[in-house]
Amino acid sequence: MKDHLFILLLFLAISTAIAGLFLFIFQSSRIENETGMQNPKKKRFFFFIILAAILLVLLSITIPKSPYFIYADKSPAKVVYVAAQQFVFLTSYQAITLENITTEAIEVPANEVVEFRVTSLDVNHGFAIYNDKAELVTQTQAMPGYINKLRWKFTTPGKYNILCLEYCGGGHSFMRSSFTVK
Amino acid sequence: MASISLKRITSTWIITVLVLFVIAIIFGITMRFNQGKFIQISPTSFYSIMTVHGLTMIGIWSVAGLAAVHYLLTRYVEIPTSISVFAFLLTVLGVVMLWISAFIGEFHAGWTFLYPLPFKAVGEAWATPLFLLGLGVLGVAWLVWSVGMLFQILKKYTLSQAFAWQHFGSNPSVETPPLILISTVSLIGIIVCLLSAVVLLVLFFAEYFSNGSYTNDPLLMKNITYFFGHTIANETLYLGLASLYELMPEISKKPKFKTTWYVALAWNCTLVFILTAFFHHLYMDFVQPLGFQMIGQLASYFASLPAAAVTAFSVAVLVYKNQIKWSLSNILFFLGVMGWVIGGVGALIDATISNNIILHNTLWVPAHFHTYNAMGNVLFSLAFFVWVANDFSDLPVDTDIPKYIIAFLLLGGFGFVLMFYFGGALSIPRRFNLYPSEFNEWSWVATAGGWFAVVYLFAILFIFMTILKKCLKVYNFQHAGRKQ
Repeated sequence: MKDHLFILLLFLAISTAIAGLFLFIFQSSRIENETGMQNPKKKRFFFFIILAAILLVLLSITIPKSPYFIYADKSPAKVVYVAAQQFVFLTSYQAITLENITTEAIEVPANEVVEFRVTSLDVNHGFAIYNDKAELVTQTQAMPGYINKLRWKFTTPGKYNILCLEYCGGGHSFMRSSFTVK
Repeated sequence: MASISLKRITSTWIITVLVLFVIAIIFGITMRFNQGKFIQISPTSFYSIMTVHGLTMIGIWSVAGLAAVHYLLTRYVEIPTSISVFAFLLTVLGVVMLWISAFIGEFHAGWTFLYPLPFKAVGEAWATPLFLLGLGVLGVAWLVWSVGMLFQILKKYTLSQAFAWQHFGSNPSVETPPLILISTVSLIGIIVCLLSAVVLLVLFFAEYFSNGSYTNDPLLMKNITYFFGHTIANETLYLGLASLYELMPEISKKPKFKTTWYVALAWNCTLVFILTAFFHHLYMDFVQPLGFQMIGQLASYFASLPAAAVTAFSVAVLVYKNQIKWSLSNILFFLGVMGWVIGGVGALIDATISNNIILHNTLWVPAHFHTYNAMGNVLFSLAFFVWVANDFSDLPVDTDIPKYIIAFLLLGGFGFVLMFYFGGALSIPRRFNLYPSEFNEWSWVATAGGWFAVVYLFAILFIFMTILKKCLKVYNFQHAGRKQ
């Protein structure tokens, strides 16, 4: 929840500041005999430089945290195969194909890297992992013909739910599964 | 001065857009109330409504933007009204096909119709080809209209002049008006994305008629789908900005915006960023080449630079300490810029890959795109509608701004999107007809969002009523004769 709350508060703070700035600019246009913005070119230049610098700092901080790089140099302690199809998730320790459809209850170790190999047997689906507080922990897409490898280390034992986050038809909102972290 | 035939077709577009907008808002409210368990509809009905809601919103604001730039471009270049009439007739046909497909054929694959979902049991067997054909009809209509306008621009300006490249040097021989520059950039973007839609439809039909001997690549289809969907949604917004550049200074009785080297650079860069930012829709497809993922975040971030440092800043320079007689039109432009910028912040947060992993396909996504559409682009188009309606009739121009309209618009609009942001931060998935059991306690957020949308709807109806009489005046033949 920490990350989610931070994102929401960050957004609300920036939005409130923007709304306040627009209100301030609007109010300034109602005062008589003002002469407009002084040195707008210089101010525009500095605004551009500051904004560009903020964006570059954010890029350099956030890109290394992208999921493609997380635990990329580690060997997974457990590999879980996931095949999605309208409107169920099949999970197994063995590869699942149309010729070998199988599913079993999954249990993965806490504090170890787990790799989910996610595909779909029909349409695009989402594979989103929620903790027992209904917080979205991580996700990837389930795409027919492709296998997305999602690596994660669960630090809290318990039951985790899987929801589909890519619209896949009439039963989309009922499509779910779960696994246990011990 | 616009011809009476152009005024009539523009008025027809405006009335059609606003009627469809009201209907599409009601669809949206229906979905939020269903998610909040305030009403109950079947999953199929929900997803058919969702499909029509998305398509209608994207469609009407695209044509509103095209109709606005068509009207305004006639100040600089001659554009035959017939292409707008042609586009209108085909648009009506396309919309009817799509609605039949969704409401009778129960097609419910979403407006993005992500391959191969339309082939996997979504409605009647005939609904999928009808839906795809309907999209094809709309594509032809808007392609002809966009190409027609671009062609007329390029008859007067060379391509480099239309892109305002001469402004990179000192003392440019020809001055490219901002409207020409922005229209060129936006129309090229629209043409490219409509061509990608044609490719997409051809690939769909190739598989449909192959009887299983040919199947498409889902990753390629996803890339093309989002290239089309992302680009058209964003270019629609830029068409709205074209109106703003042309009209806001004029309505505010200030000097017109001029094209300078940085304005030219900003809009040239915008075209590049918009055509490449779509990769952010595929962040969660880890098989996508890593380079594309990086381009997605870089383009999404850098797209905000010209938007903020050029367009938003220019509006600030126009207004700051510059006494302005505010009217409904220029206040809508001004508020639209605010909504666009706030929606942009929400978009930037989501376009950050490390955030996207916990926001992708949650309610954060409709949160940010509803912000820059409902509180940004829609307001740009409404500002044009209010301004142009005064051009349609001899009725007196309203100088007072009805404060209740602004209050309803801000309260309803921002309240509505705030409920989406809350939902996104709570990890609630988007495109769920009903929330999963773990989110039961938050269903009131959806209902509240629906009620805020009702307040927003009242504001839209008030604006509609304000301009309807003037729009209808243009069909008055006596009046028309006098104006001609």
